[in-house]
Amino acid sequence: MNTGQVISGAGHLGLIAFALFGGAFQSEPLPFEVTEVTAISAEEFAALTQGESIPEAVANVDTPEPPQEGEAPALTSEADTPPERSEPEVAETPPPDEVPEPVEPAPVPQADVSDEPPVMQPPQEDTALLVPEESPRPQQRPAPRVAPEPVAEPEPDVQVDDVERQEVSPSEEPAEVVEEESEATAPEEATTEIVTEAEENDVANAAPAQSIRPRTRPTRPEPTETAEPAAPETDNSAVNDALAEALGQSGTSSNEAPQGPPLTAGEKDALRVAVQNCWNVGSLSSEALRTTVVVAVEMAENGKPVTSSIKMLSSSGGNGAAAKQAFEAARRAIIRCGSGGFDLPVEKYDHWRDIEMTFNPERMRIK
Amino acid sequence: MMRYVLSLLLACFMWAVPVAAQDGPLRIEITEGVIEPMPFAAPDFVSDNAAGAELGRQIANVIAADLAGTGLFREIQPEAFISKITSFSSPVQFADWKAINAQALITGAVSVDDGGKVIVRFRLFDVFAGQELGDGLQLVGTQAGWRRIAHKVADQVYSRITGEAPYFDSRVVFVAETGPKDARQKRLAIMDYDGANVKYLTDSSSIVLAPRFSPNGDRVLYTSYESGFPRIYLLDVGSVQRRVLESQDGTMSFAPRFGPDGQTVVYSLTRGGNTDLYRMDLNTGANTRLTSAPSIETAPSFSPDGSQIVFESDRSGVPQIYVMPAGGGEARRISFGQGRYGTPVWSPRGDLIAFTKQSKGRFHIGVMRTDGSEERLLTASFLDEGPTWAPNGRVIMFTRETQGAQGRASLYTVDITGRNPRQVPTSTGASDPAWSPLQD
Repeated sequence: MNTGQVISGAGHLGLIAFALFGGAFQSEPLPFEVTEVTAISAEEFAALTQGESIPEAVANVDTPEPPQEGEAPALTSEADTPPERSEPEVAETPPPDEVPEPVEPAPVPQADVSDEPPVMQPPQEDTALLVPEESPRPQQRPAPRVAPEPVAEPEPDVQVDDVERQEVSPSEEPAEVVEEESEATAPEEATTEIVTEAEENDVANAAPAQSIRPRTRPTRPEPTETAEPAAPETDNSAVNDALAEALGQSGTSSNEAPQGPPLTAGEKDALRVAVQNCWNVGSLSSEALRTTVVVAVEMAENGKPVTSSIKMLSSSGGNGAAAKQAFEAARRAIIRCGSGGFDLPVEKYDHWRDIEMTFNPERMRIK
Repeated sequence: MMRYVLSLLLACFMWAVPVAAQDGPLRIEITEGVIEPMPFAAPDFVSDNAAGAELGRQIANVIAADLAGTGLFREIQPEAFISKITSFSSPVQFADWKAINAQALITGAVSVDDGGKVIVRFRLFDVFAGQELGDGLQLVGTQAGWRRIAHKVADQVYSRITGEAPYFDSRVVFVAETGPKDARQKRLAIMDYDGANVKYLTDSSSIVLAPRFSPNGDRVLYTSYESGFPRIYLLDVGSVQRRVLESQDGTMSFAPRFGPDGQTVVYSLTRGGNTDLYRMDLNTGANTRLTSAPSIETAPSFSPDGSQIVFESDRSGVPQIYVMPAGGGEARRISFGQGRYGTPVWSPRGDLIAFTKQSKGRFHIGVMRTDGSEERLLTASFLDEGPTWAPNGRVIMFTRETQGAQGRASLYTVDITGRNPRQVPTSTGASDPAWSPLQD
């Protein structure tokens, strides 16, 4: 056996012994605790331990001496003095309570009781069924008139008129301003859509199974057009005349009419609403309801249309006869609602002297 | 460089546009109006003698009733009149009629000549425009026919204002019913569209059903149980002569309707328990079978151009409406809603089909496009059935029967918008109406 083999064998034996007894094959590590340790200085430690000094022990304690014989005190047997007893004060006897007079109980009304059991009337209807599972939607009430804005039914004694006004009656007290007596008027009842007999009583199907989620609020539109500030009133007639002369224009009524700024969107809307309130398409044929007409009208300065100036510029969607009916309905609308003068700003007369109105009945057709 | 020039030109153009717009007239667009009856005034027609005055009052009343009955017009009562029409040729005081909001004014004159002829003249005015609508017109008729003259005047007014074709001067053939439900007697009768001038065409010895006018209104087809089985009869309205259409023994024929040529009849024939549609040539008596299915096909109706037939069939399990070529062939179902559909009738305009619908225990009269779209129910009741179109295709007449043992059948009209349902006054119960074409 050479030296190498001896060294190798000893090494392997040592390794095996380490593996067996040195814990190399222990699968789990030994448990141990971790404690946080803070290093402090000696002064800090002294400060911490200052109040914890050990109290000194008391060395001299007086020990009582045991009594000597014969010095014991003589015992007496006197009884203790009994405590004084205070006599209670005699209270006066209160007078007896008055006996209340007995009250006769009110006679109990006698109920008519018969031996026969009451007869139960069977219910006329199954009342449980009368309660709808879903509340019905309010039904559109039929009205003889269909208009863009619904109008509630007027009071029975109120006269129906195009213009709503309050009743004016002579007051008992004398007033400075004498108002003309007139009856109250209200617009005729109207709905926004035609309600057929089949739809009128269809309450059972009126309630939706689910309510529609409310829509988000639309964003507020930006003001598109604002009234321009009125120009300062200055006498520019001489300048205007000079300009007109320079431009080769003679003095015409057009130049004499007040021009002012253009009509605002609100003023245009007011005119449109005023005309549409009188545009009755209820008596038009189906063909005329498919016809759009463009009507030209010349306006007087007081806001009234010049009747003879109303003419049809063009039509589309229907034949000649239908266009004629549609034009006549449009003309009636302009004349009827313009008879009192449209509410237009006179300072802008030059902008609304000539108006082209397009009457498009697309939204009023029979659906 | 070129880019800068173009930009400059564009800027100049953009600047010039609002200036140009300001120079033109003010433009507004009206897209919403109102739907309301048009107020009109129809004062008594003037006359130069007492007989004519009474006639003038009656004619004005019939004209006013015709117009107001459409629901499109509203009569202004004579008590509200400010002006009196004393002469046919005197100028109209438009301000007085404007003051009472009369938008249309009808004036007229009546005279009776030595031969008993009635001469009626009338004018129509647009009050707010201050001008006459159309030309004045003169009508001549007999004293007995004064109602027809009044209807013709009303037709002229209606057409001039609305643009619709007229329909007042027309008649209705129907089944007059008397007696209780379990022993009801039925007779064919004819009347003016407004219920006046009723005349009976048959007696009550046998049950009669479903009369239908010919395209020119001179003949009527109907079904009778006179022989014990349903048979189709052809009746001449003028002479009240009738004849049974040829049919084979052991068959039942019913639900006839004329074609637009007046010589073709389409009807239902039941043979061996199966009901199909057939077409007959009245001149030759030749029959052509149009359908061949184990289901029940009935209630055929021609389109106005005669190219198609709409009918009722239960081939899908429940009665529905189908359309097929007039010569037969593949049928196309057009009704798909819930419920049962029946008695389809093609509009004289050709744009709509009226029908009866039974749904959820109620009956409806409705209309739909010829392809089945845009179905609209116009009425609802215990029993509505059997629609028929006015000659202008704007109004529908139908039968409405009330509930119970004492239930009574009546005739009603309704506008195709679903507005203005009205009962037609009849002295007896009435069912199965068929509207005639406009009279000559």
